[in-house]
Amino acid sequence: MLPRPFVRSPLAVTALAVVAAWLVAAAAAPLIAPFPPLAQDIARRLAPPGPAHWLGTDPLGRDILSRVLYGARISIPVGMAAVALAVLIGTLVGSIAGGVGGSVDEVIMRVTDLMLAFPTVILAMIISAALGAGIRNAVIAIMVAWWPSYARFVRGLVLAARGREYVEAARAVGASTFRVFGRHILVNIVSPIVILGTLDVGHAILTFASLSFLGLGPPPQIPEWGSMIASGRDYLVQWWISTFPGVAILTLVLALNVVGDSLRDALDPRLRRL
Amino acid sequence: MNLAVYIGRRVLFLPAMLVGITLLTFVLSHAVPADPVAANLGEQAAANPEVVAAFRHQWGLDRPLPQQYLIYIWRLVHGDMGTSISTHQAVTTDLGQDLPATVELAFAAMLISLAVGIPLGILAGVRRDTVVDQISRGGSLIGVSMPVFWLGLVALVVFYAWLGWAPSAGQLSPRLSRPPAVTNFVVIDALLAGEGDIARDALSHLVLPALVLSAYSIGVITRMMRGSMLDVLGEDYVRTARAKGLSGLRVTLRHAARNALLPVITIVGLSFGGLLSGAVITETVFAWPGLGSYAFRSATSLDFPAIMGVGIVVASVYVFANLLVDVAYAVADPRIRMG
Repeated sequence: MLPRPFVRSPLAVTALAVVAAWLVAAAAAPLIAPFPPLAQDIARRLAPPGPAHWLGTDPLGRDILSRVLYGARISIPVGMAAVALAVLIGTLVGSIAGGVGGSVDEVIMRVTDLMLAFPTVILAMIISAALGAGIRNAVIAIMVAWWPSYARFVRGLVLAARGREYVEAARAVGASTFRVFGRHILVNIVSPIVILGTLDVGHAILTFASLSFLGLGPPPQIPEWGSMIASGRDYLVQWWISTFPGVAILTLVLALNVVGDSLRDALDPRLRRL
Repeated sequence: MNLAVYIGRRVLFLPAMLVGITLLTFVLSHAVPADPVAANLGEQAAANPEVVAAFRHQWGLDRPLPQQYLIYIWRLVHGDMGTSISTHQAVTTDLGQDLPATVELAFAAMLISLAVGIPLGILAGVRRDTVVDQISRGGSLIGVSMPVFWLGLVALVVFYAWLGWAPSAGQLSPRLSRPPAVTNFVVIDALLAGEGDIARDALSHLVLPALVLSAYSIGVITRMMRGSMLDVLGEDYVRTARAKGLSGLRVTLRHAARNALLPVITIVGLSFGGLLSGAVITETVFAWPGLGSYAFRSATSLDFPAIMGVGIVVASVYVFANLLVDVAYAVADPRIRMG
């Protein structure tokens, strides 16, 4: 199922294994975590990594390993949901812009220009501050900040596809506009959209962790990587509090990026140089 | 199209873009369910209808939205961004104090990224598929995969708490006072005042956050420069230069790298926006008194005039940076102007 150049690259296979391991950790967290993620043990607060608590404990005596494992249950679905929603809206708007053209296209493109003039985190910060902190609102914020770049990408694909012979052929035999779009254009542009979206899941996980670090994610008791790192800010000596959730983000996002890159290289050798 | 016409057209488009930015910021910050009254007065005062009505009237929140927008634009044109609900200062005053600190940080980070990313990208492109290339590829992948706030905390733990090489967070050591404000850039103001110690102290505080902030853009610039070098190294004119018997280093630098720099200019412009995003987060970690900290405070207290001020300034900086990049590109590559 996987392309051969991908399977032959040890780096790509390792990265895929890391992603798989995180997916398993997320799914099996209740079974493999040594402690409940919310259980406090004040007597052992701020304990360094050791035999009882492999990755140490936080200021409330909660087990960091367990919280890191549970954190995957939030970050992975959130990253995927935010990208999926942004891709969905971007594809819809981009298809309208590229398909209808004219002044509709012009207006849509100027709006995306404007949205893209705002740095993502600032835009997402304004939106999620206004909607209130929380996982759902953070996802909405990332989606609002990201759809314009997908819309531009999809518009470009639609414009390119419109000029192809198979589309002209479909028109010539009398297919309706909707049929041409759904059966001929959309099916041909869907795979680059999916690849781009997959490449962005890691980035979305990072952005969500940033919002959460700023206090715009879930409430602090919820085991989430960004807010766990934030809780270690005042404990520089107890380095393990913020180090391990950060290592979790780094390994997962790095692995996702390597998988995405290798997949793209394997599927489209022309892009290898990037 | 000649260069002057190209630049002229781009500049003429600016005002429309700026109006669009104000409109979008306004819609985003007002078309939300959150209530600025509760955020700024507290739940208790928000329960008192008289207090709420007075608050709404004072900040113009009792007028229809289109009217609020027009009033805002009218004042903006006259250089008035309103008064921050939480600091009770003019937003322009707040921004004038905080923007230079952010620009200082972003500029230092950009310098570091260029100084590291471009040579590394050239080297990786020339020595393709060697250890150097693998290391630079791995390094830039790690750079773009790392949470900047985490890197900042780890840097503070290692270089401040453990090794004691870096000063603590903040823009100046607590024992020093800020030099008299002229430009609001601490390093420049200190030099203007002839305070060498303060300037040195400010620079030493700048190093760690700037390094942390540059991690992402070093990754982006290295990869872009490498890809661009690989493109250019395959060109006929590079082969011709080699065939003429020019030395390898001369061909690499004079013929290949100069041309490979072109696409990288665009990325530099685009990653400036990313730097501003990163600065917001880096500032909160390093207690850096810049726009990011201000944006965060105003966003969480639903301080609309301040949020709009930040949004407009940041987006305008980004739009201007892109304009400069496009113009630089057009000057460097005449083919762009023909398009």
